[in-house]
Amino acid sequence: MTLLVLLGVTVAFAGLISLVTSPVAALLGDSRYAIPDALHGVTAILYVITATISAYLAYRLFFNRLEDLRDLRVIASLNACLSLLTVIFGNWIYIYYRDKGGPRGYFLETRPVIHEIFFEFKEFLALFTLPIAVATAYILLRERNDLVRRPWLPQIVAVLIVCAWGRLMLVFGLGAAITKLRSV
Amino acid sequence: METVPPAQEQTQLPSNGPIVAAFVSATIGILVLALVQVATVMSARFKDTVFEVGKAWIPGAEGIGPSSGKETFMLAAWLLSWVGLHYTLRQRELPLRPLFGVALAILAVAVFLVWPPVWHLIE
Repeated sequence: MTLLVLLGVTVAFAGLISLVTSPVAALLGDSRYAIPDALHGVTAILYVITATISAYLAYRLFFNRLEDLRDLRVIASLNACLSLLTVIFGNWIYIYYRDKGGPRGYFLETRPVIHEIFFEFKEFLALFTLPIAVATAYILLRERNDLVRRPWLPQIVAVLIVCAWGRLMLVFGLGAAITKLRSV
Repeated sequence: METVPPAQEQTQLPSNGPIVAAFVSATIGILVLALVQVATVMSARFKDTVFEVGKAWIPGAEGIGPSSGKETFMLAAWLLSWVGLHYTLRQRELPLRPLFGVALAILAVAVFLVWPPVWHLIE
């Protein structure tokens, strides 16, 4: 549970500093879509944090150097939940992205390739992470300590985790880039 | 640190069918999403049908557009195939490594299919 405590303390500390040092309205921005935008961004950032921790644990699992699977089980379950939440909030913000005068119309008029690559491709890759994250969490929760007794299963789980992480990092980068080009 | 109790070490492992069902169904859902995307690019009529499917149950689907239907197809293919495969394979012992190799290959094909320059080739 050490990693989880560290994660919790880090997130709580970052949240406290943000709340103390900046007005919430300024933190969210003045867009009328500020709340779904913030929810999508926060869940995505949390997902990047947990997925990165799980990728590190997966590296150790791959080489049979992970003796305690509890952290990985918890983090993989968090990954699955955060993936679902990010997709749900992503759907919500997509309504505003497609709205009249929203970024989609702007990109289609000026540079359609931005919409196709930065948004549509990103959207598909983001959806891909959900079944992978859920399947990984299911296998870890179902197998528990039997996981390491099955030939190749630790490596398979590790590769699934790293696959989801790699896609997530690409998606996160593209998502961050599009908000810089034109946000909702 | 969790350790495996000696008694547990000697017990026989349950069949690995449900593990295979979990990762294979995930790749089926992903492949269906990619194929539906390609099909919507090829046929405007199918795109409308997909949109109608999304509008049937996703809140705000009118604003989300055809993506709502594509998500629905992915969810349906993934979850239904998971249930089906789980019950079909639950007593079976299967070769994990080759099946996972196939699953990875399907994932690669799905990523290729949703890459926008590929749609333009088939438009």
